[in-house]
Amino acid sequence: MERRVFLAGAAALAASAASGSAALAQTSDARARIVIAGAGAAGLALAARLRRQMPKATVILIDAKKEHHFQPGFTLVAAGLWSPADVTERNADYLPRGVEWIEQAVAEFDPDGKAVVTTGGQRVAYDFLFVATGLMLDYRAVAGMDAALIGKEGIASIYAGPAQAAASAAAIDRFIETGGVGLFGRPASEMKCAGAPLKVTFVTDDKARRRGRRGALKLVYNAHNPAVFAVPPVHDKVKALFAGRDIAVNYSHVLKAIDPGAKRATYATPAGDVTLDYDFIHVVPPMRAPDAVRNSPLPWREGPLAVDGWVEAEKATLRHPRYPEVFSVGDIAGVPRGKTAASVKWQVPVVVDNLIAETAGRTPRQTYNGYTSCPMVTAIGKAMLIEFDYDGKLTPSFPFIAPLEELWVSWLIEEKGLKGTYRAMLRGRA
Amino acid sequence: MSDFNPVTLFFILHETFGAWLWLLIGLALVLAAGIAVSVMRLRRAGRPPLRPMTAALMIGTVATALATAFIVPRWTLTDIGAFGAAIDYLVAVLLALIPAAVVASLVFMMAARRCASRHAAG
Repeated sequence: MERRVFLAGAAALAASAASGSAALAQTSDARARIVIAGAGAAGLALAARLRRQMPKATVILIDAKKEHHFQPGFTLVAAGLWSPADVTERNADYLPRGVEWIEQAVAEFDPDGKAVVTTGGQRVAYDFLFVATGLMLDYRAVAGMDAALIGKEGIASIYAGPAQAAASAAAIDRFIETGGVGLFGRPASEMKCAGAPLKVTFVTDDKARRRGRRGALKLVYNAHNPAVFAVPPVHDKVKALFAGRDIAVNYSHVLKAIDPGAKRATYATPAGDVTLDYDFIHVVPPMRAPDAVRNSPLPWREGPLAVDGWVEAEKATLRHPRYPEVFSVGDIAGVPRGKTAASVKWQVPVVVDNLIAETAGRTPRQTYNGYTSCPMVTAIGKAMLIEFDYDGKLTPSFPFIAPLEELWVSWLIEEKGLKGTYRAMLRGRA
Repeated sequence: MSDFNPVTLFFILHETFGAWLWLLIGLALVLAAGIAVSVMRLRRAGRPPLRPMTAALMIGTVATALATAFIVPRWTLTDIGAFGAAIDYLVAVLLALIPAAVVASLVFMMAARRCASRHAAG
């Protein structure tokens, strides 16, 4: 039924779409064997496009996870506006027909043998491999921290999952009720959705103001380096907003340990360790490549992206320079930016179109410019639609939406528009 | 923005609204048919559509204002205080036109029916 509905709608509208449509993308008749490691946003979007654009290829998806989480919605769960059910779906509902799903995790990558080995011991050979495993939240890298503590002892963390985001919402509400010092921040590692720690800070401030409790709170944002955001104009704007809302900022503070019982957090700073008391803390864990990737030959061997095991990739094509039949997409890709669903939306067509061109005997020409997007929620009902590329240049999609202005229309996109776009992306339609 | 071609937009709308999108399209078709029937009825009765149109425009304007102030902000989990820039009001009004158009269409059909009936009775 779903398929018929889509086909009917697409047929009706196709006549008005002159060109450039995903539905009209080029195809390849190559009988390649393609393995996709990971069924997150990137993996499912890849599977949908490859199935449609390479109808004679064998497409195999490997992932043990059955649930699918709309992670951009975790902030809204933490704001108490959405429920965990609003961000929880099933991978099976997005699996394209004709794609084989091996419901196991990848245990080992063997790019020299052009195969991966699953946790069940199955060796799966490939002609082309797409690494889309996502990343690992390394809570234990913060001494004293454990994901099980989320929602307890004044500890929040929206990244761990829908239930933990909801527990964080309750922790924020309790903090606003009792008052005290709230600490926010981000890790020094590469991370997904680098705007989320700022959003949680803004949301806490806004909820406290709405309840007339802002005076009872002291909010402190601990930036990991000398900026609150990597893109200079965004840094300037957020800094000004923080100042206007009485949110203090400590620069070059990296969380290294917490003592949940004593409610004390220790930060590494250029001047040595600093310990701060808190009543509430939003912990954002360091993020790393999963062990199967880190222990393989795929990661960068030197440079800043080597430390946490991100897959080596040419940043314009996401192709592995040492293993040209390997591509990495999404959070795991070792490129300077791009750990957001918005990045995936732009990365997937590039790698798929290039593979199709190559297998059809044409020259691959598509490039990814590092596009990423962060609808930065600055209050409930207001957001800044920030989009930028590898160079940190702002690249607004809509000429009528000022990227550094707090707008309800940007909130509308965040609250109503993103989920539909994300789902369409999973089906290879956006 | 060039990425948002009609086909992509259709799929995004479908994924956003699901079955509601088809209900809305169905409702729009029913209302359009109702308006066409009302206009034909007025023609047969030899009555101009001015009064039903005026009533529909007046009620539609009020409905637009009410929907802009209450329904649209509430639908996005906020209140009218979130609107700050001209673009916010513009987009909110455009969204408010959807329920307002439904109300205006119903008012037009009812007024046209009454007009035509009065003429027939007279």
